[in-house]
Amino acid sequence: MKRITTVLVFLLACLAAVAQEVTLTVDAPESAVAGERFRIIYTINSTDGQFTRPKFDPSFSVQGPQQSTNRNVQWINGDMKVVSSTTLIYYVTAGTPGTYTIPAAQFETKRVTVSSQEKQIVIYDGDSSQQATGRQQGQTSAAGDAPASGSEVSMRILLSDRDVYAGQPITGTLKLYTRINLSGIQELKLPDFKGFLKEDIETPPLRSLDNEVIDGVQYGTGVIQRFVLYPQIAGEIRIEPAEMTALVQERTTAARDPFFNDPFFDSFFSSVSTVPRKITTQPLTVRVRPLPEPRPADFHGAVGSFTIESSVSATDAKLNDAVTLTVTLKGSGNLNLAGEPVISFPQGIEKYDPKVTVRSSGISAGSKVFEYLLIPRNTGTFEIPPVSYSVFDPGQEKYVTLRTGGFTLNVTGTPGQEEGAAPVYIPGEDVKYIGQDIRFIRNGNGRLTTLSSPLVASLHYWLWFALALFIALLVLVIRKQQIRRNADKAGMRNRRAAKNARKRLSRATALLKSGKKEEVNAEVARALWGYLGDKLRIDQSDLTREKCYTALRERKADEEMITELDRILTATEYSQYAPVSEVESPAALCERAALLIGKLDNVLD
Amino acid sequence: MVTLAGQSPEERYAQAGELYGSGDYSGAASLYRKLWEEGYRSRDLLYNAGNAFFKSGDNASAILFYERAKLLAPADEDIDYNLQIARSRITDRIESVPQLFFVRWFDFLALLTSTNTWAVAALVMFLAALVLALLFLTKARARGRLLSFWLAIAALLFSFLMILLALRNNNLVNHNKKAVITCSIVTGRSAPGETGNELFVLHSGTTVTVEQELGAFREVRLPDGNKGWIRSDCMEKI
Repeated sequence: MKRITTVLVFLLACLAAVAQEVTLTVDAPESAVAGERFRIIYTINSTDGQFTRPKFDPSFSVQGPQQSTNRNVQWINGDMKVVSSTTLIYYVTAGTPGTYTIPAAQFETKRVTVSSQEKQIVIYDGDSSQQATGRQQGQTSAAGDAPASGSEVSMRILLSDRDVYAGQPITGTLKLYTRINLSGIQELKLPDFKGFLKEDIETPPLRSLDNEVIDGVQYGTGVIQRFVLYPQIAGEIRIEPAEMTALVQERTTAARDPFFNDPFFDSFFSSVSTVPRKITTQPLTVRVRPLPEPRPADFHGAVGSFTIESSVSATDAKLNDAVTLTVTLKGSGNLNLAGEPVISFPQGIEKYDPKVTVRSSGISAGSKVFEYLLIPRNTGTFEIPPVSYSVFDPGQEKYVTLRTGGFTLNVTGTPGQEEGAAPVYIPGEDVKYIGQDIRFIRNGNGRLTTLSSPLVASLHYWLWFALALFIALLVLVIRKQQIRRNADKAGMRNRRAAKNARKRLSRATALLKSGKKEEVNAEVARALWGYLGDKLRIDQSDLTREKCYTALRERKADEEMITELDRILTATEYSQYAPVSEVESPAALCERAALLIGKLDNVLD
Repeated sequence: MVTLAGQSPEERYAQAGELYGSGDYSGAASLYRKLWEEGYRSRDLLYNAGNAFFKSGDNASAILFYERAKLLAPADEDIDYNLQIARSRITDRIESVPQLFFVRWFDFLALLTSTNTWAVAALVMFLAALVLALLFLTKARARGRLLSFWLAIAALLFSFLMILLALRNNNLVNHNKKAVITCSIVTGRSAPGETGNELFVLHSGTTVTVEQELGAFREVRLPDGNKGWIRSDCMEKI
């Protein structure tokens, strides 16, 4: 059954081949180096026919062809399609530099004959070729990720972006391009990426090369290392070349048997030696733009496009039981460099430094989780404020502030209960000063006083003192004069007191002689009162016996004198109302009064 | 911010307070400063001006106005506190030589009230002393003669003390030799001009004492006693 199917397929394939138009294509390099081998590949989409090789230039040493046929059978929607092809590879080494034409090759089937295009090939001299390739390499590195077409083994650093903001991640790939067989690579030396933070991406070791056709040249390519770069400083930053040693397999063509002049046998019979060849990448520059100023206060270095969310493990908590606040930053960007959000937790909640976990999903993407362990140390309701976190979005070229909701935490429980036998001593807690600022302005009544000139600087202020002193002196002088005048009056009376009294007494004696006895006593009384008033400096209107006695006693007069005075005064008053005979004779009274005044005058000054 | 010319100083004062409350510190500061320049004085005006300058980041002007406020109210605790905070934000840390305690007390006493209050009180005290002296000299036998004598002596001494306080207050407030450095950095030299040897470097906010003036330069004494010549436009007198 199987055999029948195979036969059927073969027959049908032949039919199909007949039906199809036959093409012959040629693939040859446009340039080559003299002495180095290159390939000319002919591809025919048929297996059934006669291939006539072109007439190569006689200076070419041609090996091959290496022939392979290929047949594909496809079933699409019940229709069978057969694609068959033949590939012939000639290995050509040009001896002398120059421009050559590879003439057309021909392929002849039973029905038709096709010929390939003619190809021009430039063969360079060995040295100038290297210069040319070097130039070409420089151009291509500036243009993009095409390898140096002239060299057989090269290495390139491919960057995802070369104009970025500081902190914006760049994916880099170190890629190997080869057109020859390599037996291995050695001594990979990556540059130190000054100005970048480099993070290696796990890259599987290079085991096999992929085929890649770039500018019509087939290369074996392989990724050596992949990494992410985070620019740390702004400016034109140069990435130094990476270096590597490739182990190149080179055939030694000496002592070749002409019979085996066929590349098919090369691998078996020619001796192969491994030659180390140093390869380097081209230096690159990356333009790193600084993050725009001013930066928001809650910007902590995150660059990329992110979202933020937060959750809390419980909103009702027991005293001293831990509560976890989880803040998750998700997105792509420099997650590793994103600092923790600053959350001002209410006082009374003990806060520990957050546990930070980075979960990466893909290159420079994933999530960063900040877990804040909170232990409420006081009961009550606490507001955990919303988290505000600014990131720089290089796509929008501006800062984006991400916000989460806040939480209300209810803390219940009895303080100190969980400790069993609670200690009697409860340590007090000092008032916590968590910030320092100036005190607020005063918004009291805006009573403003205007600037007034100082009094002490003006002359008239001091004149007031002089005026006051002058007035005081004037008052003093006037008062003194008055006092002096008064003092003079009193002194006069004092000095003349005795004299006046004697005058009155002598008048009394005269009245006595003239027989007016009634008036004598009154005159005596008047003499005594007048004397006392003048001497004791008491006004006549104020004069009473008691005042006189007191004044006399003050002046240290004898009690005897006071008694005598009292008797005389009593006698004079009494005699005015009683008959003369019953009292002392006025003459005796006069004498006693005169005697008393003399005595008093000695005592009183 | 538009200030109408017709607004009374009290309205502008209130407006500055509102600006401060709404966070426009530099606007408030310029309003307060304008009031000060127009000659209006009050402890709160100067204190608020200091606060506004501090909040707008001008620590030197804040210190200047706090120092001015302190001359009007030496015992005000808020002014002292804010001045201390403002001083902690400036660059220069100079160990100051403390004043003798009686000078400090005397200055404190002198600044308790304005110079004119002291002057008027001194005059009243002098009049009282004169009256008491007249009593003593004229009432020959009054019982309080001795008392009036001692009271007169005491009143005279008080009057004399108050005159001294008024003079001291006037000196401190109106002839203050202290100045605050306003340039962010300025060099003190050994001679006036730009040729003298450089002696020290001062930063804004430092308080110095002006010793003498020569042209565009002033000789200043630092709180630690050192002297040097500094450009006049780099300082503002308290």
